Amino acid sequence: MTSYMSTMATLKATNGTSALPIHTTEGTATLPVTLSSSSRKDDSIDHGVTQNPYQRAFSPYEFNGGTTLAISGPDYAVVAADTRLSAGFEILSRDVTKLHALTDKCVLASAGCKTDVDQLRSVLDIRQKVYAHNHRKPMSTPAVAQLLSNTLYYKRFFPYYAFNVLAGVDMEGRGAVYSYDAIGSYERTPFSASGSGQSFLIPLMDNVISHKNRCDEKKELGWEEVVEIVKDAFVTAGERDIYTGDAVEIKVITKDGINNIHFPLKQD
Amino acid sequence: MSIFTYNGGAIIAMSGKNCIGIASDTRLGIQFQTVACDFQKVFKMSSKLFLGLAGLATDVQTLEKLLQFRMNLYELREERPMSPKAFAELLSNVLYEKRFGSYFVEPIVAGLNDDGSPFLVNMDCIGAPCLAKDYVVAGTATANMHGMCETLWKEGMESEELFETLSQALLASVDRDAISGWGAVVHIVTKDGVMTRELKARQD
Repeated sequence: MTSYMSTMATLKATNGTSALPIHTTEGTATLPVTLSSSSRKDDSIDHGVTQNPYQRAFSPYEFNGGTTLAISGPDYAVVAADTRLSAGFEILSRDVTKLHALTDKCVLASAGCKTDVDQLRSVLDIRQKVYAHNHRKPMSTPAVAQLLSNTLYYKRFFPYYAFNVLAGVDMEGRGAVYSYDAIGSYERTPFSASGSGQSFLIPLMDNVISHKNRCDEKKELGWEEVVEIVKDAFVTAGERDIYTGDAVEIKVITKDGINNIHFPLKQD
Repeated sequence: MSIFTYNGGAIIAMSGKNCIGIASDTRLGIQFQTVACDFQKVFKMSSKLFLGLAGLATDVQTLEKLLQFRMNLYELREERPMSPKAFAELLSNVLYEKRFGSYFVEPIVAGLNDDGSPFLVNMDCIGAPCLAKDYVVAGTATANMHGMCETLWKEGMESEELFETLSQALLASVDRDAISGWGAVVHIVTKDGVMTRELKARQD
């Protein structure tokens, strides 16, 4: 920390006004300091803070980066997420998964604050186990969708910082994608992208998947073609978004199970 | 709301094989209220040089007139047409003169050099140029436009394919931005001339 001499130097540097800067991970604060004995007369229990107030701020949230994408088809759902974990401008890991299979028919993809994402997954796993115990069958995808919404809303006034996308096959075997906000509002959509790279991907999906603003005939896409589109989309997001890169983990969900594909991206 | 998003707008310019394309939306708004759907943001400075200006509408119009004036002076004195590179340098200097009280625009200069090769530059509001070989974007929907252009652009597109690519990129991007859209116009510039088309776009 600081010695007497360096403190005196710092005080002089600020033109003799009694302020000592301290640097923390939350930013810089200036503490009121007097090194003379005249502080005796100001011996109140709050150590003079009321006379010289300063503010410290702690944010419980941190954005750990990443992008997720999910697309539904007639009998499949494709869900993908990059594998980079970052904090500020630093990369903490190049190989962390954002995808979590809740049942063998549905996968949750979450970007946001990693600790909140991990806790949310634990809570969902437990609640899903309880359901399977009570109903003697695993949860269907629309039921998981509702469960996730309710779980998020329980924390309405101190939310989970997680941008979720749920993908799976519904009870008829058709692909289902649900997109969420942080407090549980959800909707079944043909595709969904969330996280730091969502602005780069959503217009592309509008054009290629929903066929908007196009005059040529819309043809139905199989899962292999959709996976190629997803790879292209993540190459784009990896180029233009600093928080997206390293690799993409893709899962293809059909009524027969989940197929995993790993695709490397630029590591810059 | 930022001063750059006050009027809204989106511009893309792309390069092809010995041709360039430049496209913009045609909305003029005052924050969320749309006031006009035929507002010009891309200006033809010469048969091979186009200027696109995104940002505050009053500065878009002022700069267009100012640059046309400066370009005319240049052509009178030099007795030759102004090259895109010289025009971009001029624009950069005009913007930097206002370093501490800038014009609130993001300009794009798109043209063909004398040898027919494409020339694309975009700048910030104080004139820092950024040359690109593939595409440049400016306006309120830049993240959307980057996503579209990065995916759809490929090298060596002829003018018809460039038109299709540029149109799809612009339309998909502005449809996801509340303050851009309300019509679009695309110019394709080749050595044989300029082709201008208006796109049928969502009017919302």
